[in-house]
Amino acid sequence: MSFREKSAWIALTSYGLVFGAYFILLAWSWDERYGLGLSIGLMVAAVVALIAIAAALTILAAITSPKEANAPADEREQLIDLKAERLSSYALSTCVVLLIGALLIGWNGLLVANLLLASMVIAELVKALAQIIAYRRGA
Amino acid sequence: MAIANEIRRLRFEAGEMTQAALAERIGMTRQTVIAIEQGKYAPSLEAAFKIADAFGVTITDVFRWTKD
Repeated sequence: MSFREKSAWIALTSYGLVFGAYFILLAWSWDERYGLGLSIGLMVAAVVALIAIAAALTILAAITSPKEANAPADEREQLIDLKAERLSSYALSTCVVLLIGALLIGWNGLLVANLLLASMVIAELVKALAQIIAYRRGA
Repeated sequence: MAIANEIRRLRFEAGEMTQAALAERIGMTRQTVIAIEQGKYAPSLEAAFKIADAFGVTITDVFRWTKD
């Protein structure tokens, strides 16, 4: 497995675990009165956890393949990245358009803000998944 | 894939050059060399020239386009 495929797995795992836990915890403890404080507190914890987990796993991956970790992406890897970015932007755009609609019909602003965050996470997951599929196919 | 290649044969003729060694010579990853060799990825013209140069042959000795 190449270093960049490992990186995609790391992104998929860390985003999935951290923000999966974030949204589950937020949904369980949701309270309109403390929603903002709760969201900010959980978000700070989630970002710190994401950085810590992703950094630790990336360092581990770099230790196992130091040469590849320092090498720039070759043309096939750049193409895979571009294709994954395109799919990711489609996912993000779709979610944003839906959330604009939600705002227009009067959804709670804090809820929409959290759903925007979820959209960004979904976009990252789509990107990582698209990269992994492309690397697995060998294309 | 309409572009076939002779990389496997050329590696054999070059003293069983490994995919990793070829990858290093052309500045790509071993996974990309595998993808090119298996016909799953068509390299850029620049990469194709680099591969041909690594074997000391012309580009048409490595790659050929087939109508299908």
